[in-house]
Amino acid sequence: MVKYESIFIADPGATDDEVAGWVKGFEETIQGSGGTVRKIERWGKRRLAYRVGRHEDGNYTLMQMECPAPTAKELERRYRMNDRIIKYLTVRLDHDIPEAPAEAASAPAAEAPTAPGETE
Amino acid sequence: MDPRERDRSKKKQFRKKFLFRKKKFCKFCEEKIPYIDYKDVRLLQGFTPERGKIFPRRISGTCAKHQRELMQAIKRARNIALLPFTAD
Repeated sequence: MVKYESIFIADPGATDDEVAGWVKGFEETIQGSGGTVRKIERWGKRRLAYRVGRHEDGNYTLMQMECPAPTAKELERRYRMNDRIIKYLTVRLDHDIPEAPAEAASAPAAEAPTAPGETE
Repeated sequence: MDPRERDRSKKKQFRKKFLFRKKKFCKFCEEKIPYIDYKDVRLLQGFTPERGKIFPRRISGTCAKHQRELMQAIKRARNIALLPFTAD
């Protein structure tokens, strides 16, 4: 079992229910392989730092899990199959999964308007 | 200009530049940050000035170990569109 952290960006047009449905599917994939999901964080709609395809905004979801390596690959394969997921990133966690949520996740609303302004 | 005069003014400039320089220190060592999180956009933004480039450590004073971690974090953040590759 390896600890992973996975973020995917959904099309901002996707509704919360749709994304929740996908997340449920991903969870089942992970659990089906004997892994465990540690944390799921919905960051909601955020401004992207750069344009991805024709999208300016994205709907971010973060998952932390412990699962065998092939499952992480399978998860990425499923991200690719879903054409409403515009970008994803999976990284291995070398440190322990922190208890406190990251600052970026706790204040997405406050950050969203300032971030693009500073980058322009 | 008299060459000696020029020499003196050069020396003066040199002193002005270096005498009152603040001691640089590594922010991450100082605050004992356990690891640099690529999701912490506000932290990383402090190390990517206007153009979105990574701030060199000769200026920021970050130590080699933390600069490496910082680089990794910034590159991950760029990948997932939290930080820009470039600002034009």
